[in-house]
Amino acid sequence: MRVGVYFCACGTSVSDKVNYDTVAAELGKIPEVGYVRSVEFLCSEEGKQSLEQDLVEHRPDRVVMAACSPREVEGAFMQCAHNAGMNPYLLQIANIREQVAWVTPDPALATPKACAAIRAAVARVCLHEPLERKELDVCRDVLVVGAGPAGLKAALCLAEAGRSVVLLEKTPVLGGMPVRYEELFPNMECGPCLLEPLMGEVLHGEHAHRIEILTLSELVDVKGYYGNFTVTVKQAPRYVDTVKCVGCGACIPACPAATPNEFNCGLDERKAISFPFAGALPNVPFLALEACLRTHGEDCRLCREACPVEGAVIYDDAERLSERNVGAIVIAVGSALYDCSQLPALGYGRLSGVYTSLEFERLLARNGPTGGDLLLPDGTPPASLAIVHCVGSLDERHRPYCSGVCCSYALKFNHLVRKKLPATRVFHLYKELVIPGKEEFSLYRHASHSPDIQFLRYRDIAEISVTAANGRHAIRYRDAAGEAGEFAADMVVLCPAMIGSNSAGRLSKVLDAPTDQFGFFQELDGRLDAEQSKVRGIYLAGTCQSPMDIRGAISQGMAVAGYVLSGLADGKKLKIEPITASVDEASCSGCRICGNVCPYQAIGFPVEQEAASINALLCHGCGTCVAACPVGAIQSHHFANRQILAEMEAALQ
Amino acid sequence: MTMPPAVPVTRQAEPASSAPFEPKVVAFLCNWCSYAGADKAGAAQIPCPPNVHVVRVMCSGRVDPQFVLQAYRLGADAVLILACHTGDCHYKEGNYRAIQRHRLLLRILKQFGIDEERCRLDFVAASEGEKYARVLGETVDSVRALGPLVLDTGIAESGADGPA
Repeated sequence: MRVGVYFCACGTSVSDKVNYDTVAAELGKIPEVGYVRSVEFLCSEEGKQSLEQDLVEHRPDRVVMAACSPREVEGAFMQCAHNAGMNPYLLQIANIREQVAWVTPDPALATPKACAAIRAAVARVCLHEPLERKELDVCRDVLVVGAGPAGLKAALCLAEAGRSVVLLEKTPVLGGMPVRYEELFPNMECGPCLLEPLMGEVLHGEHAHRIEILTLSELVDVKGYYGNFTVTVKQAPRYVDTVKCVGCGACIPACPAATPNEFNCGLDERKAISFPFAGALPNVPFLALEACLRTHGEDCRLCREACPVEGAVIYDDAERLSERNVGAIVIAVGSALYDCSQLPALGYGRLSGVYTSLEFERLLARNGPTGGDLLLPDGTPPASLAIVHCVGSLDERHRPYCSGVCCSYALKFNHLVRKKLPATRVFHLYKELVIPGKEEFSLYRHASHSPDIQFLRYRDIAEISVTAANGRHAIRYRDAAGEAGEFAADMVVLCPAMIGSNSAGRLSKVLDAPTDQFGFFQELDGRLDAEQSKVRGIYLAGTCQSPMDIRGAISQGMAVAGYVLSGLADGKKLKIEPITASVDEASCSGCRICGNVCPYQAIGFPVEQEAASINALLCHGCGTCVAACPVGAIQSHHFANRQILAEMEAALQ
Repeated sequence: MTMPPAVPVTRQAEPASSAPFEPKVVAFLCNWCSYAGADKAGAAQIPCPPNVHVVRVMCSGRVDPQFVLQAYRLGADAVLILACHTGDCHYKEGNYRAIQRHRLLLRILKQFGIDEERCRLDFVAASEGEKYARVLGETVDSVRALGPLVLDTGIAESGADGPA
């Protein structure tokens, strides 16, 4: 064993504190050390070149760099070793700059400390083993779960890049929430119109043939790992053939059965066979079986008889389970709203004329239950409106966070209501006003200048009560100073916190991707990698990750496409880092403790083997299982017990 | 991979010398937070006691309690395990495993008569260069006050008889 040691003086940054001659003399006493060299700047281009040449010339068995932090230079020096024909894992760095020279002012102490660090690195590197990066073929297709703005954007971008995409949507309609909004803040764009081009491209555009859209579908099982997932999709029957149907809607007036329309929050009814709402895409009705007379024992065939296309209505349509192979998964399942009945004093569900913001969106929409006329349940237009902000937000008893979009849409409501009914008085009851962005302020400026619009800051939402009074609502509150206030309003709109989607919990189990305490999917890093889940190859886009507006969701849709296209780039194989753990099957007792501590579900127990088996692609190399194994059957490559012990022993000499 | 016996300890108090006692400390640093925090202390030129030897591991969850026991056997007067703050682990939850193992280890050390100040677990983020220097300083100071680690040979012998 012959170890070459390179001592980087780092100009004088190291050599001012660490005496090279002493170090060289100390190292000379170690039999394994073949030679020691001092270099002025090892990391400079010149330094790296001379290092490569020197390695080629002297062919040491192992190399130690006494230099700065491995976090900075390890990659570069490993590349040098590789270029010189050495296995790059036969190298160890002793951090004598950040952790010796720069923190030990007294050279008399710094030099022996550096000697100990280099001695330890030499002892360790002698036990290093050559490791190889493996490469794996991958599937480049992608599953996108959720066809709201984020999912649509991701699917389209990936298809444009030539990838095949499976796009799952739980409901019968594409577009997610914004297609239900008549207009959007800050510029009063029409929601469906905004998404129409995107949905058009996904459905009929140049790249649409690469996007398989599965509506009424859910992800029920995921096997495998990054680059090679096998996913199982359950598709509920639509009872209408999406290919044959021409979207004429002739079936709808023929249908004798009605059911509450969940797309209008149950505020009106629709036929058992119908479009979710006018303009819904794909332009194909669906049959809600629970409402159909056929489910209730009648042999009704009116919709099929009314249909001009043979075979478009399929009564014996059935649930389908199918499998797809994909390399990456995008979760874009959106979010939900906090349940306003958790704040019973606000009257939601108890008093008529108290609506959630989503219900109010539908009341404002021309394809909604009132055809866009803003009406009270008794059919008269309201003369006054109370908008309660921060319902369940900024409140430890409910949700401690601010959703960041509610104030903006509340001001949009203000604008739309005053456009429809200019004399309406509007009261904004808020805890905090949050209106970020370079355009959104104009809505606030207009509202704050009007004498008919009042902004009332409340102290605590628990002090707000809404009660029925003379056919209207009496609203009592305490302002920020604690003073009691009261006013009357015909209609009340509540702006609830955004919370994790109802399906997030189930999906989280299927995907093994954790959700946070609020039901949003947990990101790898809140700033650096907000669009990556904690599981490799599973990405997050839109409000399933955190509350955000449409722009944020669209941006994340693009971001996940970027992650997929760079991670599973065309022609690129997936590299498997060798710093992983592996099991000695003969020693494994099959106790499964390792499987329980692995944060990445990388450890399986194949039945035929009766021992643990670590998937090197899923293993991140943390070594938690190695420390947990009670029989020492797991080895940590490059961080093996004997390497760590050798380092320790030499340092403590 | 097998480890040497758990605690085959035969260390005796070294003969008293005129030089004041300077403890030897082994610090296990996780690569992502604590090691970066140590580098941060360097970048900020915050003096750190020279008697701490850093062993880099990828995750505090890699720190096998046997490493700690071996460190004592090999001459360390104290061991530091530095992890990411809870909730910040690069590997999601490796630091929770480190916390669990540390708690159990302290119980065992107590039975060996080893003061728990000789086995400290703390959390240092990549930005916490000052905290890193402070934790090192506190550890060295407290162990200097405790004096050298003297392991009971009786226990050491019974330890050597234990399962390997």
